[in-house]
Amino acid sequence: MTEFLQALILGLLIGGVYALLASGLTLIFGVMNVINIAHGAFLILAAFLTWTIWDAAGIDPLAAILITTPLMFAFGWVLYSTTVGRIRKAPPAATVLLTFGLALVIEGLMGIIWGNTSHSVRPSYFNESFEIGELFLPKAQVYGGIVAMLVLAALYWMLTSTWLGRAIRASAVNPQGAELVGVTVGAVAAMTFAIGVASAGAGGAIASVLYPFLPGSHYQWIARLLGIIVLGGMGSLPGAAVGALALGVAETMTVTYIGPEWATAVPYVIVFAVLLLRPQGLLGSRLREDVAAA
Amino acid sequence: MKQAVASPEAGTLPGPGAEVERARIGKQWMAVIAAGVLFIGLYPIFSDDLYYQNMIILSMVFAIGAVGLNIITGYAGYVSLGQGAFLGIGAYVVALGATKVGGSPWVWIPAAGVVAGVMAAFLGVVAMRARGHSFVILTIAFLFLLQIVATNWDSLTNGTGGLTLPLPTWSVDYQNWPFYYSLMGLLGLSVLLAWWIRRNKFGMGLVAIREDEDKAATVGINTRVYKILAFAASAVFVGMAGGVYGYYLTFIDPLGMFNILLSVQIILSLLLGGRATLWGPVLGAFIVEPLNEFANNDLGGGNARLLIFGGLLALVVLFMPRGIIPTVNRWLAARGRRGKAGLVGERLDGRIELREREAPAAPAASPDAAPLLEVQGLEKRFGGVQAVDGASFSVPEGSITALIGPNGSGKTTVFNLIGGTMVQNAGQVTFGGRRIDGMTPWRRAHLGLGRTFQITRLFHEMTVLENVVAPLPSFRLGQLTADAVSGREAERAEELLEFVGMAKYRNQPCSDLSYGQQKLVELAQVLMLDPKLIMLDEPAGGINPTLIDRIGEMIRELNAQGRTFLIVEHNMPFVLGLCAPVLVLARGKTIARGTSAEIQRDPAVLDAYLGEDFRLDQPVEV
Repeated sequence: MTEFLQALILGLLIGGVYALLASGLTLIFGVMNVINIAHGAFLILAAFLTWTIWDAAGIDPLAAILITTPLMFAFGWVLYSTTVGRIRKAPPAATVLLTFGLALVIEGLMGIIWGNTSHSVRPSYFNESFEIGELFLPKAQVYGGIVAMLVLAALYWMLTSTWLGRAIRASAVNPQGAELVGVTVGAVAAMTFAIGVASAGAGGAIASVLYPFLPGSHYQWIARLLGIIVLGGMGSLPGAAVGALALGVAETMTVTYIGPEWATAVPYVIVFAVLLLRPQGLLGSRLREDVAAA
Repeated sequence: MKQAVASPEAGTLPGPGAEVERARIGKQWMAVIAAGVLFIGLYPIFSDDLYYQNMIILSMVFAIGAVGLNIITGYAGYVSLGQGAFLGIGAYVVALGATKVGGSPWVWIPAAGVVAGVMAAFLGVVAMRARGHSFVILTIAFLFLLQIVATNWDSLTNGTGGLTLPLPTWSVDYQNWPFYYSLMGLLGLSVLLAWWIRRNKFGMGLVAIREDEDKAATVGINTRVYKILAFAASAVFVGMAGGVYGYYLTFIDPLGMFNILLSVQIILSLLLGGRATLWGPVLGAFIVEPLNEFANNDLGGGNARLLIFGGLLALVVLFMPRGIIPTVNRWLAARGRRGKAGLVGERLDGRIELREREAPAAPAASPDAAPLLEVQGLEKRFGGVQAVDGASFSVPEGSITALIGPNGSGKTTVFNLIGGTMVQNAGQVTFGGRRIDGMTPWRRAHLGLGRTFQITRLFHEMTVLENVVAPLPSFRLGQLTADAVSGREAERAEELLEFVGMAKYRNQPCSDLSYGQQKLVELAQVLMLDPKLIMLDEPAGGINPTLIDRIGEMIRELNAQGRTFLIVEHNMPFVLGLCAPVLVLARGKTIARGTSAEIQRDPAVLDAYLGEDFRLDQPVEV
């Protein structure tokens, strides 16, 4: 029972971090209809930035979020205006291949800058745990989960309570309609992409404490995040949160009861199962296909 | 060989002059291809340089991968980032066979092809429910899942330790010739398969799926079987090439064989060379692999390779999305036209040819004839919106029935439910005495149900004639291998084009037609199914009055030949002059049925169209 409870709590904590990362991905998909395959590469880039900041200045990785997030926001903005934005209206296949190409370029650059060896950020509390009864909860995971939830809450607040947030949601639901009521959808898309990348900046900083990483880790991460948004329903923010928590728990349960070597397979199995059984995901809904055309 | 340019791409050259132009460009390509084949074929005989032999061997492996990928990505429009997995599957089949069972490569290489084909067909089954983005995600998941299984299933695959294959037994004098020529043979077979698919019904169906999958299903194309077969066809030779590749490498492991960069290299080859062209993937592979070798040997490998692949992928998508061969073809065609008179004179928006016709007979049936189509209690919800809420009506055989109603009353949704493009939440549909709800759209089309769309949906990259020939009034496996445009069908299609007055445009790509012309072609397309019931969604919407009259005439004429119509339309004079009975739909329910005159007086109908305000504004003098 303790084992189960431990796996459950750790799963939910890690799920919180996944939720933050997947929100950025699903947000970009919702507004731009672009599957940003480079999302994993963005978060590994943020993790490396965090590592450098921690290594050089000794700044706590969770506090480094305040630096990585704006940096990644700017990076996202530049990438959007130079590449992704140019083919915003191209067929889906083009944008997937473009972002995949970007992911490879970022992976190569990270390899040149930081080398292809495994890195991890180890703050002072890295090896400490909270002990509650028989439960051992590593401090890094607890802090990471809490910080992720806070950033995610801020993101939700921004989306629901600010003009920008409403513009983003309007563009996601009906781009033409949003144009008509004065939303510049192109600019909103750029903003959304930058915010999505910034959320990968925050999430990457947290992830740098939780898992060791190297440039090639981005495949594992993008697989995980794609599994989450497919499970939750592509484009749905609440779906991303639910999917993230479910995947987090599924992974820790797999580690506990089946074996750690199979944990990486969980997202892929989820993708197959969801697409076979319920292609629209848990919270996604199928919309009238002809609305946009009519 | 002429098919090298007979891709949809080349089809965009307009006018009769295009034939000559195409032949000229075709000859130029043929010379290039013949020279390339000759050079590759003779290279090992004249040179014993193993570095370049190796480079050509690997180029051929990736070319086979890309030619296969072209069948699903180029023809059918399904982008896959997991194509490299089939090389890995093939290599693992031969490695496991040779080490665990023993035996000759002559057994294991074909077995590798079969296993790859079966696994690809499975992917095709899953892909029935996943299109676009979901499908790309699925292919990535497929690749990585195989990698994990190959890594973790120690007892079978020896995990990350990998498997060692037996060394070649032939004399060292022959260098790598057996690998070299067997791959060349496989590449030849792959290209042959791709060529053959493109020129028969199967390939045409795949292109229709790429252009508009739902539409393809409504014109009788069994998209499910087509996709499964396409996936299998895209993988069989790739699996065999993977087998040869495995023997060639003599050592395989999960990280090498299921590396996503293999898939990247394959899709990059396809995009660079030109998707949906016959030789594009081959050309691309022979450009990308040398770059790969260069990055590995001269730039330090790993990271340089990532930068080159990633950068090239991004650049191709951004600046040359069509790829080399189509881009060069356009350039050659433009150069060939330079200095000559403009395109063939006819203005595309010119008048439709009208033929003298006898006045059509009176409608063949009375509104009270036996029902051909019966709809009972049909319901459809979209999230919280009840688009269709218990609609019930029938369409008498031989009638021209109208379905009218205010915007948003659910007319198009009813069409989608009857045609099978959407699945109802409740209710049933009977056609000619058979329950058809629950049938696939193509089954319904084969039974004699044809429909057009509110916004015309033609296969844009096909010509007018190809569009009309594409529909399939029945389905047999044997039909897949029939010529795409056979004599009898072409004749029938010509007749239909003549009937709608579009015969002159038969070789124009549909994307060049005006909206009204597209409506006519779509009608001819539906007629190709020889349907009993023709459902027209706003046939008079967005076209000029002369053409509206012409369409009205055609409907009467077809009706006189015994075809039943169900028409959704907002143009009231058109509907009221043509149709009986008229059905009225409001808020997803059928609220009235009757003749034109009856409908115009029905208070419920007035209310539905004009709303309650209208009634309140009326002087109360009852």
